[in-house]
Order: sequence, then structure tokens, then C-alpha cells
Amino acid sequence: MTANSLEALASAGKGRSTRTLLRVVILCLIAGAAIASRLFSVIRFESIIHEFDPWFNFRATKYLVANGFYKFWDWFDDRTWHPLGRVTGGTLYPGLMVTSGVIYHALRTLTIPVDIRNICVLLAPAFSGLTAFAAYLLTNEMTTTDSASAGLLAALFMGITPGYISRSVAGSYDNEAIAIFLLVFTFYLWIKALKQGSMLWGALCALFYGYMVASWGGYAFITCLLPLHAFVLICMGRYSSRLYVAYCTWYALGTLASMQIPFVGFLPVKTSEHMPALGIFGFLQLVAFLSYVRSAIPGRQYQTFLWLFAGGTFAVALAGLVIATSAGIIAPWGGRFYSLWDTSYAKIHIPIIASVSEHQPTAWPAFFFDLNLLIWLFPAGVYLCFQNLADEHVFIVVYALFGSYFAGVMVRLMLTLTPVVCVAAALAISSVLDTYLVAKAPAPPQVHNAEDASEASVKKASKGGLKSTSKPVVGVYSYISKGVVVTAMTIYLLLFVLHCTWVTSNAYSSPSVVLASKMPDGSQHIIDDYREAYQWLRQNTREDAKIMSWWDYGYQIGGMADRPTLVDNNTWNNTHIATVGKAMSSREEVSYPIMRQHEVDYVLVVFGGLLGYSGDDINKFLWMVRIAEGIWPDEIKEREFFTPRGEYRVDGEATEAMKNSLMYKMSYYNYNALFPPGQAQDRVRGVRLPDVGPTLDTLEEAYTSENWIIRIYKVKDLDNLGRDHTSAAAFERGHKKKKATKKRGPRVLRVE
Amino acid sequence: MRWLPAFLSVSLLGAASLAAKVSPEERFREFHAKSLASAPIKLADSSYAKLTNAPRDYTVAVLLTALDTRYGCQLCREFQPEWDLLSKSWIKGDKSGESRLIFGTLDFSDGRDTFMGLGLQTAPVLMFFPPTVGRHAAASPDPIRYDFTNGPQTAEQVHAWLSRYMPDRPHPPVKRPINWMKWITTFVITSGTLTASYVAWPYVLPVVQNRNVWAAISLLSILLFTSGHMFNQIRKVPYVAGDGRGGVSYFAAGFQNQYGMETQVVAAMYGVLSFATISLALTVPRIADPKAQGVAVLAWGGIMFLMYSFLLSVFRVKNGGYPFSLPPFM
Repeated sequence: MTANSLEALASAGKGRSTRTLLRVVILCLIAGAAIASRLFSVIRFESIIHEFDPWFNFRATKYLVANGFYKFWDWFDDRTWHPLGRVTGGTLYPGLMVTSGVIYHALRTLTIPVDIRNICVLLAPAFSGLTAFAAYLLTNEMTTTDSASAGLLAALFMGITPGYISRSVAGSYDNEAIAIFLLVFTFYLWIKALKQGSMLWGALCALFYGYMVASWGGYAFITCLLPLHAFVLICMGRYSSRLYVAYCTWYALGTLASMQIPFVGFLPVKTSEHMPALGIFGFLQLVAFLSYVRSAIPGRQYQTFLWLFAGGTFAVALAGLVIATSAGIIAPWGGRFYSLWDTSYAKIHIPIIASVSEHQPTAWPAFFFDLNLLIWLFPAGVYLCFQNLADEHVFIVVYALFGSYFAGVMVRLMLTLTPVVCVAAALAISSVLDTYLVAKAPAPPQVHNAEDASEASVKKASKGGLKSTSKPVVGVYSYISKGVVVTAMTIYLLLFVLHCTWVTSNAYSSPSVVLASKMPDGSQHIIDDYREAYQWLRQNTREDAKIMSWWDYGYQIGGMADRPTLVDNNTWNNTHIATVGKAMSSREEVSYPIMRQHEVDYVLVVFGGLLGYSGDDINKFLWMVRIAEGIWPDEIKEREFFTPRGEYRVDGEATEAMKNSLMYKMSYYNYNALFPPGQAQDRVRGVRLPDVGPTLDTLEEAYTSENWIIRIYKVKDLDNLGRDHTSAAAFERGHKKKKATKKRGPRVLRVE
Repeated sequence: MRWLPAFLSVSLLGAASLAAKVSPEERFREFHAKSLASAPIKLADSSYAKLTNAPRDYTVAVLLTALDTRYGCQLCREFQPEWDLLSKSWIKGDKSGESRLIFGTLDFSDGRDTFMGLGLQTAPVLMFFPPTVGRHAAASPDPIRYDFTNGPQTAEQVHAWLSRYMPDRPHPPVKRPINWMKWITTFVITSGTLTASYVAWPYVLPVVQNRNVWAAISLLSILLFTSGHMFNQIRKVPYVAGDGRGGVSYFAAGFQNQYGMETQVVAAMYGVLSFATISLALTVPRIADPKAQGVAVLAWGGIMFLMYSFLLSVFRVKNGGYPFSLPPFM
């Protein structure tokens, strides 16, 4: 290579249009990488909807595509929450379904026939590319130079960081799939509106905020963060007409937009989590008024008066808020929200919230697992924001504090922290790379010159700067230093890419509807019990056969088997869920009337004992007991499911309540027939089971899947001869009706 | 013939109560008078037997506890004030004994035999003896146990539990006394702080407006939150734990678990790594002397590399299958 061509190569990046082209190409490559790394599950398994909630979203999308928007809006679903039904159109966030529906119809207009399922499966990866772009825009707002390195790095981080991939792999068709893009983009528009004081950007921000409200319950995060940012700015004495215009435009239009969603309705003016936004709106009006007065009437004594007036009004408003809340005019704090502040609240009052593993606090390995090196670049990036501390940097600092607190309290909110981590880490690493990737070395200084310069700059920067930036920048002298730092950073970044790919491939790409295991020869074995069982239900039961199961499986039964369920994952009715919990954890004699009253035809349980599948119902059983105990403390007692030594056992030493509970009986019914006598084993709990298995009188086994993961039981009809089921079953087994036999077994209790 | 044991036991019970030679009514009056003087009544083996003896036409709630520091029962000591408060406010609200409930406390040091007789391994245990005769008689004379499985309970929770087993009887509510001491302390501290801040305001203001202070506060809280401090708060994890071989284990096994010390070590590692990054990005390019700069680059780069390598090795302890590592902590 000649020196000429080298020069040409170096100057190629200088032109403005070349740079733009390079940026576009790099962003496209990043979007490609973001989409590609989310496709593991499609390649390994197939194009399938994952987990639990996405099945409902998928079902709703199919309904929307088939029946049109207005029918969807008024949809009353009588196939869930039997016998109550659910006003689905008014109790969901429609953004996701409408987005897929629009894409579907747009593609059809372009005469591209795509199955709606494929759109749903690939929606989250497609939006992750947009999220990367939004992160690029947001980060570019933070840097003063026109160098886009920080923005491009942020886009890259956002594209492949596992903290975001965890919720957006192909098939994970959940609200978060589009919500994170909307979150980042709304923040970008907010910064833009704030910087320019532009009503147009503010209105765009409100528009995307409205879209966000229509998509995800996590919109409250924006609703709280933007007022907080505005409040901090006012406290720092940075009130400006730009802030006033941006905030008021966003608040007024955004609130109106959010109230158009039936599920949200009047919440923005009623509930406490929306109050900060309203309070800051009012506060801003006062501040604006007072600053107008100050500009109109000169006088130094006004300043004291103004602050007193503003503070007093704020205190009065706060007192009014407290009174209105305690008087019940404003709704009390929502349970999920409240559990974020008082961390022991959920455990005591709402077992149903505590039972969801997403609502658990986050241990440190989860942070490192999801963010890798970003987690320690994050504080460095926040520190760099203090360097200039313009309005937009204050936003990053506030977001970082707010987001990391909530991510620490609830695993799920790692998702809202991830964008700011990516932005801050990109700022840090680009600042390092920008410093060390300069080919030109500074001239070694004359000693007295440098001292003069530093003294002068100390005087200049001592007012309101950071201590570490008080001296002037000289640059890096030696190529060795540059080489060492750049090499190390490259190694870390490559390691980050490897880490992300590894995490995505190993942890976040399992559909959990289909399980995979390795055969002894290393080949992959697919365990497809869920779909097998749901297909059985679809083909062998009446169209309106009611299925009772624990609520985790409600959406899947509705989506895959298309049968009515008693409870599903939309946990709005605690009592109804507790009823199912009671039926599962009581004796057959208690459960049978409950099931008859709810017209249950089949009961479905998930049992992992044969395969060693730990997410089964016996392991979730204590939550059923707890939730049922919350409603019927006299009939169900958690204590009775523990042995006197406080152990939760399922083997021969299990407690009587455990052995007689419907859940235990359904799980282990006929199980010991699989093994030679005396060797029945539960591979999840790792215990040997008693020789004699449980007997079922009121249910009969209808179907058990290949690996026994799903077991379905049919609820027996009333006996033809009017006997109770216990005696009928005893007669079937050939027991004569004599007192000696009646003395044995659990039936004795019933006779007395 | 099957009737014989039952008959015998009944007659024996009768004999026992005859031996006590006091009618249930008298016993209730005696114990109620005692509890008016000081509730809950402090019991011993003999008085416990006398109080809970069947037949009884009144209800008894006895807390079996071990308050002595020798037994190291943290839960007992935490619950005791709540229990005293509950019984005092109940008795105060029901001076005439309409609810026919007697509160008693039996400490392990006074009632060794009773604990042995009941076969109790743990404390505290709250026993509820429903009446066996009379208007409120329960179907089963067996006492009901209250569980302390969920950690320390408040007086209100126990009150709700008691009320559930005593329908259609008065349930005097728990009245927490106004904590005058706390109010006075709060008032004094608040006014003191206000005065102090008013006086010190000219000196405090530069600190409040100092960017370095805010940067330090922000970074510390971010490090605290991202290293799992909130998990420690919520789950109340131990600071360190034994490893079962007499040593101390600083890192909890398992991905979903951690110790207090562990999170501090992790926060420190993150802090060192961040600080190295900040130094490389901000401080080093401002060093005017080329030699000093070279040394600083190598030092910070080396610290960063070693620390990251160590962090990865710690993470491999938590997540056994993690494949990546950097030298020297492979």
C-alpha cells in the first residue's frame, strides 16, 4: 500500500456525505446484528410463540385481524374467567395488537401474504433494530461534538445487550417488545423538545407517549421520570421558557392521549402514581407566572418573596394531595406500585404478586449477567455527564438513579434500566476511545509553559466544574499508551459480544412451551408435551368444556387448546384464583362441589417428577395454598403442608393435608405403576415415593402426555345411583361395605 | 367394650377436676382478677395446669416463650412487647371479663415440664384453649397452635387470629400507647436540625451546590443499587455464612443468592473499574509530563485488567457454566 492510498483512505472519512453514508451502513449492520441474535429460538425450534402472556396477545391479535378494530374494542370474552368472562377490549393495552394488525394489513396491501403468526413472532426482533436507532439518537443528544462514536456504540450496546434481549427474542410477543423502543424514543423526543423549547417536538413526544401508554403498563415510568427531571432542573435554578414549553406541551397532549385508552381512562387524574406529573405541571405554571412578574417588576426583594410564594403553594398542594388521598377521592396506591416502595408489603398483603418470580428483587449476578461490562462502565458514564451538566445530562443522571433503584427492587424493571446503562456506558467508552485513538501526539511541553496554562485554567474552571477536569487537556503522548488502552478496550468489547451471544443462546432463547434436552449421544431431543396435551384437548373435548388449571397455564389453554378456562394470567380477580387454589389444596370431598359449581369438565396439572422438570405444579403448590389461605384462613392452612420439622415433603412422610390434597393426588396418581414396586421416584424433589399411590374418587384420568408433564383429569358426573363418589369408587374397587374396611384410610374421617 | 377407655378417661378427667376442687367459674374469676392487676399473667407449671385444666368455660391464650438470653430466641424477645400490648389493651377494654379470655405467658425457665410434656422444640408458641363447656364451648377441646412461620408478628395480626376463633364475643381493639418519647425526640431533633441548618446555611450552600458532591452521591447510590443492595434489604440476607467446615464463606452458592459482604466486594470492584475508566478518560490526558502519563496509563490499565479478570472469576463462582475468563484469574 502506498502512502498515497493510505492518505486517500484516511481522508475518506472526512467528507460530510461519506460520514453520513458510513453511519447509515453501520446502523443497518447494528440493526441486522440485533435482529440476528434474537433468532436463536426460531432456528433451533421453529417459529412459535413463547411462554405464557404472549399466547394471550397472539389470540387477541388473531381476533383483531379477523374481526376488525371496532369489534376488538368491544370484545367481551366469555371463554376466560368462567363463569365471569372478561371485558377484554377494555382491560388490555391494545398497542401491540394494533401494531401487528397494521403491519399485517400493510403487507397484504403490498400483496405480500404473511401469516399473522410470523408477524407476531418477528415483531420483537424488528423493533429491537428500531430501539438501537432510538438509542443512537438519544446518545447523540448527549454529546457536544458532531462525532457519532458514542451514539453508534450506544446503538450497538442496545442492540445486543442481554438485558433487553431477555424480553425481545423472536416469539416473545409481549408488550415490552415494542414498549422499550417507545420508551427510548419518547425520551429522545423529550430531550429534543427540552433543548429547543419546541412545541412541535413536545407534541411528537406526547404522541409517542400516548403510543407507549397504549402499549405497556410501564408507561408510569415515563410519567414519573419526566416530572422528576423537570423538578430537578427547577431546583437547580435552571427554569427556562424552553422547559415550560416542552413540559406543558407534553403533559397536556400526552395526558389527553393516554386517557383515550379505555383501560387507563381517568387514572391520570386520579391515582397517585400520576400525581407527580400533575403536581409539576401546576408548579411550572406558578414558576412561570412568578418569573414573568419578576421580569416585569424589578426589585431584589422579590426574589425572596417569589421563592416563599412558590414553596408555600407547593406545600399547600402537597397537603391537598395527602388529604384527597386519605379522603378516598384519589385512588390509593396500586398494589404492584406500592410493593416497589414498601418492600415487605407484597409478601404480607398480596401473595399473588409475591408469587410471580418477575416481582422478586434482583441479586447482583443478574445485573452482571444482563449487562456484563456495561454495568461498571455505567457509573463512569454518569460521572462524565457531570462534566458539562447541561439539561440533557441532568436527565441521564436522574434516569440512572431512578432506574437503578427500581431495577434493584424488581427483576423485571432491569428492562427500563438497560437503555440508560447503554447510553452512559457508550459515553464512557467513546470518551476513552476518542482520547486514545488520536494518531497525532502532542508536542512535549516546556515546563514553565504548562504550569502557566494550568494555573490559568484552574482559575477558569474552579467555578462549578469537576475536580478531575480542572486542568487543560494535553492529549496522550506515547503510542505504547495508546496501543495498550485501545487493545484492552477492544478485548473487553469482544468479550462483551461473546458474552451477549452466549447468554442469549443459553438463557433467553427457550420458548418454554417446547423444552429441549440432550440425548446421551449429544443430539437434541425435543420435549413437546405441552402442545401434545393442548392438541389432545382441542380434539377430544367439547368446544365449551371448561378446563381448570393453575393460572399460569390459562393463556396457553385459551390460545393453543381454544377451551374456556377458569383463571388465567391476567390476575385481576384474586378471589377467583383463590377458589382454584382452594380446590387444588383441599380434600376431594371439598374440591368436588367447588368444581361442580364452576362447571369444570377437566382439570389440568403440570407434573415434572418423571422428567425432572422443576417448574411444575407441586413446586408452585405452596403459592396456591398461600393465596387460598388469604381468603379462607380457617379452611386452608399453610402450616399443615409442612411436616412438624418444617419441611415441605412429598414422600411417605408428607403431611396428611398434603397427601389428601387434590393437587398431590392428581400429580402422583398411578405414578408408581411406572416403576418396579418400591422404587417410584420423584426426580425433581429427589425423593422415593410411598409404595401405595393415592386414589382418586371424584376424578378419572383422561390423558397423560408422553413425559408425564401434563396430566388431564375428567371430573366425574354425579353417580347414577345417587351414591357419593367415595362409596361408588369403593364399590368399583370391590370393597364390601363392612365396617372393618371403613376403619382404614382417610374415609374414616368422613364417617364421623 | 370400646366404651370403657373413653368412659375411664372421662371419669379420670372428672376426678382430676374434682381434685382441683375449684369450679371453672371460680378459676376464671381468680385469674381474671390477676390479669386486671397485670396482664398477661406470668404462669408457672402448676398455674398453667390449673388454668388450662378441662372443663373450662372460658378461653385461654398462652404464649410459651423463652425470654432468657441463654436460649438466644430472637423471635421471642421481638414478639414479647407486642404480646404484652395485646393482652393489656384487651383486658383494659374488657374489664368485666365479658369475652372470657385469659392471657398468660409461660417462660421456659418457669415451665420446663410443660414444654417437655407438649414436646415443644421451638419457641415461641401461642396456644389457644377454647372453652370445653358453657355457652362458647368448641367442638374439640384440643388447643389450637398459632404459627410464627412468617417471622415476628404484630399485635394486630394476633388479635385478628384470636377474634376469628372467638365469634360473637367482644374483641377490644389493640390500642397502641402514644410514644411520647418518640414525639418529643422527633420534635427536638427537627427543630435542632432546622436551627443548625439556618445557622450553617452559608457554609452548607457551597457544599449543596458543589458538583463533585453530587457526582459522588450519585455514583455511590448507583453502585449500591446495581450491586444488589436492595436484595439484601428485602430478603434480609446474612452478612457472611459458615461453609459447613468451620470456615467462613463470603460468596453464596447459586445465581439467585448472595450475602451482604459479597455485595460490598462486588460494589468495590465495580467502583475500582469505573474509577479506572474515569481516570483513563479524564485524568490521564491532562497529565503534562510524558513520563508520568505513561506510568499512569500502564497503572490504570493494569488495575482495570486485573480487576475485570477477578470479577469474571467471581462471576464464574456464581454461575458454574460461565465460559469466559481473562488472565491471570482463569
